[in-house]
Amino acid sequence: MKEVMAVIRMDKVNLTKKALLDVGIPGFSAISVKGRGKLVEDPSVIEGRKETILALGRSKEDEKAEKMVVEFLDGTRLFPRRLFTVLVRDEEVDRTVEAIIKANRTENKVGDGKIFILPFDEAIRIRTGDSGNSAL
Amino acid sequence: MLMVRAFVRPEKKDGILKSLSQAGFHAATVIDAVGRGKQQGIKIGELVYDEIPKSLILVGIESEARDQVVDIIIKNSKTGDYGAFGDGKIFITKLEEVYTVSSGKTGL
Repeated sequence: MKEVMAVIRMDKVNLTKKALLDVGIPGFSAISVKGRGKLVEDPSVIEGRKETILALGRSKEDEKAEKMVVEFLDGTRLFPRRLFTVLVRDEEVDRTVEAIIKANRTENKVGDGKIFILPFDEAIRIRTGDSGNSAL
Repeated sequence: MLMVRAFVRPEKKDGILKSLSQAGFHAATVIDAVGRGKQQGIKIGELVYDEIPKSLILVGIESEARDQVVDIIIKNSKTGDYGAFGDGKIFITKLEEVYTVSSGKTGL
């Protein structure tokens, strides 16, 4: 049994739920979290996004706005994200990961999230007392 | 690889994240949590507070970095020089695989 923890964008929650359902994993729990990823060391990675966001606010010349946008994109701040926890059988791990990646990948180059896979020893269904794979 | 889960005082969170970042562990996830510890919460007269606010910090690290990260978290989450009840706990579990969604690459 494996615990798949995926930190994903807030606006991809519904897509992820649907993608998981499509590969036969209906159960999950999700929490709102704040997080940050690796620092962006190469500014050219966020250049495209920076232009798009600055254009939205019509404040391209404003240095303060630019600084805020750069901080927003390069990973120095904590972002709101959704943490999905999915408990799956060993043989389901690959397709779960694939489904999450497919649903969450964007063209933004940064900030799409991370997936962690951890082992866990026992799962017990409270209603019946079943344990192991049948409890998942 | 290891997953470090540290339950710390919310007011110590920023200091911990800053020190972790300076040491090269920039990526982290923070969850607001409530909980109680061995002392069964805080008792003030008849009143018992057993849902004490804590921050849960999740960090994925390479196994070799374990001692360094634990040191940083302990140093920054202690109250005073000797520590106090309620400073928190650190749990470390195995982390088998990591995927980055944007590139599909494995590894931290």
